[in-house]
Amino acid sequence: MNAHIKKVYVPMTETGFYILLCLQYPNHGYGIVQRVEQMTKGEIRLTPGTMYGSLSKMEKDGLISFVREEEKRKIYQMTELGRQVLELELKRIERLYRNSREGI
Amino acid sequence: MKKQKKEFKWFTIADYEKEQDYLREMHNHGWCFQKVNGLGMYHFEECEPADVIYQLDYNKKGLANKEEYVQLFEDCGWEYIQDFFGFSYFRKPIGIMNEEEGIFCDDASRLEFMKRILIGRMTPLLVLLFTIVIPQLITNGLLGNHSLSSFFLGMFTGILVGYLVVFIWYMKQYWNFKAKIYKE
Repeated sequence: MNAHIKKVYVPMTETGFYILLCLQYPNHGYGIVQRVEQMTKGEIRLTPGTMYGSLSKMEKDGLISFVREEEKRKIYQMTELGRQVLELELKRIERLYRNSREGI
Repeated sequence: MKKQKKEFKWFTIADYEKEQDYLREMHNHGWCFQKVNGLGMYHFEECEPADVIYQLDYNKKGLANKEEYVQLFEDCGWEYIQDFFGFSYFRKPIGIMNEEEGIFCDDASRLEFMKRILIGRMTPLLVLLFTIVIPQLITNGLLGNHSLSSFFLGMFTGILVGYLVVFIWYMKQYWNFKAKIYKE
């Protein structure tokens, strides 16, 4: 993973994090919107402008790749680079959570 | 037949929020936006007054993959209206939203949107500069001044200066927003 990817994606935006988390399995933009809404009990509603921009950017940076098209919806899945980024981010969040629980 | 209405409005790239507000305001007063053409002629049709959110996106990749791009917005409940000078127009009634929403849900993606406009609009500026103004300046300088070419030169310089003013104004807006979201 090069420095540029690390700088741009770690730490990640909440939107970026959920997109990558969902794309461990093949899915399309609207599928991710629905999945995240369900996962967060309606607290996080991703919007199409943000979703389209993020998917394009992540595809360009090689974090996800295009799998196939189904009824005018592009299906993507996380790549090996995407998995590495997600793992780094998960470690960061786990550390954050652990430290907040342990107190100062 | 429903009543139609046309209004001329001039919005620069720095005014997309004002443009969105204008279309929402018109819909609130019972004028449903139909299309925009020319240099900014807005066409409306009489309708039931309703609170409808209007949103502009600027996404070249989206325009190149229009079916898929529009599908995502429609899946999320946004009606696609048209494209105009690289901007795509969408609307969604407040009535079908849980809370007021836009097509962007975080500042990072709002900044990306502004950056796409910045890059998209820089290209014509550079093209104008290098294909018209600079060659004209050189030709004029070398071959002396005859009135026709100085008229065109004046005109093009005028356009360029106008464009530059708007562009710099927009860049300032972009940098301010960027500074605001990364202030820590």
